[in-house]
Amino acid sequence: MKRGEFIRLTAGMAVVAPLVNACDGQKRNAAKTIPGKIVGASAAAGHLLRDHAFNPPSEFETKEVVIIGAGVSGLSAARHLVQQGIEDIVVLDLEAHPGGNAASGGNAFSKYPWGAHYVPVPNNNLTDYLAFLEDAKVITGYDQAGLPVYDEFFLCHDPEERLYINGHWQEGLVPNFGLNAVQLAEFKTFFKFINHFKNLKGADGLDAFSIPVDTSSRDESLRALDRVTMKEWMDNQNLSSEYIRWYVDYCTRDDFGTPFDQVSAWAGIHYFASRKGKAANAQHNDVLTWENGNGFLIDELRKLLDGKINTGALATSVKTSANGVKISYLDVASRQLKGLEAKHCIMAVPQFVAARLLSDTGRGKALAGHFHYVPWMVANLTVKELHERSGQPASWDNVIYGSPSLGYVDATHQQVQQRKERRNLTYYLPLTHASPEVARREAYRAEHAFWAEKVLSDLQRVHPDIREQTERIDIMLWGHAMAQPRPGMVHGDVRKTLANSIGNAIHFAHTDLAGVSIFEEGFYQGLNAAKKILQQS
Amino acid sequence: MKNTAGRHSAQWVLLVAVFIIATCGLIYELVAGTLASYLLGDSVTQFSIIIGVYLFSMGIGSYLSRFFKDHLLEWFIRIELLVGLVGGFSAILLFLVFPLAFSFQPVLYALVGVTGILVGIEIPLLLRILKDKVEFAELVSRVFTYDYIGALLASLIFPLIFVPYLGLIRTSLFFGLLNVGVGLYLCRYFAGEVRGVRAIRFGGVLILIAEVAAFIFSEQIMSFSETLAYNDHVVYSTSTPYQRIVITKNRHDLRLYLNNNLQFSSADEYRYHEALVHPAMGASGLARNVLILGGGDGLAAREILKYKSVRNIQLVDLDPVMTKLFTEQDILAEINRHSLKDPRVTVTNADAFIWLKENKKQFDCVIIDFPDPSGFAVGKLYTTAFYRLLQTAMTRNAVAVVQSTSPYVAPKSFWCVNETLKASGFQTIPYHNYVPSFGEWGYIMAYKPNDFHLPVTFPIEKKYISEAVMEQMLQFPDDMLAHGPVEVNKLNNQALVNYFEKEWGKYLEQ
Ligand SMILES: Cc1cc2nc3c(=O)[nH]c(=O)nc-3n(C[C@H](O)[C@H](O)[C@H](O)COP(=O)(O)OP(=O)(O)OC[C@H]3O[C@@H](n4cnc5c(N)ncnc54)[C@H](O)[C@@H]3O)c2cc1C
Repeated sequence: MKRGEFIRLTAGMAVVAPLVNACDGQKRNAAKTIPGKIVGASAAAGHLLRDHAFNPPSEFETKEVVIIGAGVSGLSAARHLVQQGIEDIVVLDLEAHPGGNAASGGNAFSKYPWGAHYVPVPNNNLTDYLAFLEDAKVITGYDQAGLPVYDEFFLCHDPEERLYINGHWQEGLVPNFGLNAVQLAEFKTFFKFINHFKNLKGADGLDAFSIPVDTSSRDESLRALDRVTMKEWMDNQNLSSEYIRWYVDYCTRDDFGTPFDQVSAWAGIHYFASRKGKAANAQHNDVLTWENGNGFLIDELRKLLDGKINTGALATSVKTSANGVKISYLDVASRQLKGLEAKHCIMAVPQFVAARLLSDTGRGKALAGHFHYVPWMVANLTVKELHERSGQPASWDNVIYGSPSLGYVDATHQQVQQRKERRNLTYYLPLTHASPEVARREAYRAEHAFWAEKVLSDLQRVHPDIREQTERIDIMLWGHAMAQPRPGMVHGDVRKTLANSIGNAIHFAHTDLAGVSIFEEGFYQGLNAAKKILQQS
Repeated sequence: MKNTAGRHSAQWVLLVAVFIIATCGLIYELVAGTLASYLLGDSVTQFSIIIGVYLFSMGIGSYLSRFFKDHLLEWFIRIELLVGLVGGFSAILLFLVFPLAFSFQPVLYALVGVTGILVGIEIPLLLRILKDKVEFAELVSRVFTYDYIGALLASLIFPLIFVPYLGLIRTSLFFGLLNVGVGLYLCRYFAGEVRGVRAIRFGGVLILIAEVAAFIFSEQIMSFSETLAYNDHVVYSTSTPYQRIVITKNRHDLRLYLNNNLQFSSADEYRYHEALVHPAMGASGLARNVLILGGGDGLAAREILKYKSVRNIQLVDLDPVMTKLFTEQDILAEINRHSLKDPRVTVTNADAFIWLKENKKQFDCVIIDFPDPSGFAVGKLYTTAFYRLLQTAMTRNAVAVVQSTSPYVAPKSFWCVNETLKASGFQTIPYHNYVPSFGEWGYIMAYKPNDFHLPVTFPIEKKYISEAVMEQMLQFPDDMLAHGPVEVNKLNNQALVNYFEKEWGKYLEQ
């Protein structure tokens, strides 16, 4: 048959072509500077505060509730308050755009995330969260069995994940290509453990691992897992091959920015064992994602908040007052300190910021040595067609075995058109090679060219022509990306103490108080803080 | 030559030259033979004629060698360089000439002839050069031994090493370089005995540079001409941002290939397009507004224009080059009977998925003629997400039809499309027919639950479809069934692409 012959011939040509190509792959290594810059405005606002003396505000505008921080936590709180009829609120954020760690950007080809980029299919007991997703039309309805139906455009399209390992792109991130039987068996054992934990309940009848973290069982045998590292736990189970170690380390760096020999075993296992979501048209390990990552959810969270978000507003102090709370903030545009007085304040900022705003040295001390904020570098690359190594074609999540990075996510992956002129790739690198303080200092000192080179030399292994094909690289540095769940974080006391409201007026909501940094935690942090206020009014 | 030792080594140098000449000569012949069987098909004929022509020309060469009276060494080197030039560039020349000239064979045989003649001159010339240096019997034996060893080497390394690793163009250039290298070496070695050595050397270096450059840029040269895959004359080929369009023609038919996949043969496309269009058009009643997704060749539009009820045809095809070709190029527009110029037809160049997402209009009949789901990008056009959008573009009694690959070669793929349409809320009627240039081909009609009637008559001009044929097309023999459950194709599983790859892959291995 003619058609067949043609396909065969072209297939044959496709085999020969790379051999011929391979010869001229090497010759163009000459350094070429790729345009781009280091983005992020917060540092500038911070410097303004440091370098100028400002007059304290003379007037204090009154509000019922002031929320500091327009990340997931702050916006979720604000949204719930408005839904419950409390309209006299304002959300302050120092950045020009709301979103916090779920911020996003874009260019002519697509939007793209600067941080958080997906959420897993939610657990079905999270009714408030599911209701939000229904409002956001992410859930389009429920089937006869009562399972949510997700909008197909938002479920991550196939092919979802690939791992470059032993010279080949394999499907999925769990290593299997080139592993021997013993190494493969370790993964079986590991997932057997995980499955056990997934279904396990503590003596108190609660799920061993649940979302939010604080709804998990407090059974002593489980709390013990928070006293060892993930690596120690794995060593105890004789899970010690290079491959399983890499895999678990990859996962804990991916979700917590924490290597497996530093992360609490409880948190490490939580990552694998807490996802139990069921859906009409998806599985528990499927994810929801958008061009702009969780920026999509940020836009949905703020839908009811028109005119209530004040960006370019850097909070400088929070004090209790006779009528409630007095808040000062720097209006970056007018370079003026302004004042607000509110019955309630929700501090939806990281705890090291909260301690500073409250001028509370006690809080600062409690944090020191306990909360470790890991820095991250995120790069967005605009690329033309890339040379591909053998195996699974370009996917949403593309991970390189053995790389210090977490690989890259393709922001254009969810686009449905046939031809993409350019793709935007978001590259993630948690800076865990040194202590957070040292890594942070290094990171802020390094220039664009340094980061660009770091990204390109990593990706060159899988895309030899990445230098020629990259049109632009922008860099985002997250100095305090997330608090690491090291042993003692989840089940220790510090986190809980810091989460206590101050009087009836000041409440806290941030993912660093939750123990692990994920969207759902932020959503419930905000919701619960809002509920505390509603209970009083 | 200075002394006997020098003589001795001079002799060896020349014998090695014979060896290389013999290897190269045979390689050029093999390159020509392979190319001819790629491009013209029928490898037995091609190889047999080329071997004949080559051997015969060597004979002519031998005969001509007698006219070289003196300065034999000089001539020998010149011819050596010439062989390097002609042979080295032979593959490039043949590739480039193929799409341009309709008389490809003369060029082919001329090249083989010239190479043969040149090589044919060389051996006798060499015998004469060495004549007074070695005893005759020993000389003949040595020269021919090296000649034949060279031939054996060539016939082994050509298929095993050179074609797979270098490809034809680089192989012929490589051996051209070898020839020229030998020529230049001889120039140096016999510098004292050759007249005008500078001029010869200069020429040799020029050829060397040209061949090295061609070797490096062979890729770009190759992309000029990708006739490799086509059996017929390429009459038109172009690369658009979306695809590679190639049109070939021979005495029997004209064919359109998109990314090397056959889209139609003018000889039997009516079978495909009548089967694609008329059942759906018949079943949708008096359709006024018709949507065609894909189908930039205007052939489905040609069929639809046969219906008097039709007021508007909206055609959405990705590639403006494609629709322009089939609107303005006379030979092509004749095949679609100038359908794309018909005032009832609106051509929009857009991505079908994006277009459908933004579309607000509703149509009475939709013809979907996308490329096969051979990759994740096209695979998206066969998903529940796409078909749900499609629903919104259909009036209550509308009928859509989807070209759904071959149910014989790829039954799981075919039934996967069927399941996907059903999962998207459609009722379906799968059917198939035989299109000689494709094989058994499948289509699926889809409609919203309503009182659907298969068409009884086809009151249009036709060559293929009829009520009896329709009935036949609905019958699926056992070897076209999926035999087991098939998955629904969704954006987040791309089940169809996996089926398609497996089934066609297996079929093509046979
Ligand atoms: C690189 C990266 C990738 C991630 N990927 C994912 C992911 O894929 N999925 C996921 O679920 N989670 C991910 N996370 C976790 C993410 O942190 C949480 O999901 C969530 O976005 C955190 O929200 P938050 O509101 O608790 O904190 P933040 O996002 O930190 O919000 C705090 C806000 O407070 C503002 N602020 C700080 N100081 C002041 C001040 N003095 N005055 C005014 N405003 C101030 C900040 O600008 C910020 O907007 C990722 C995190 C990072 C860093």
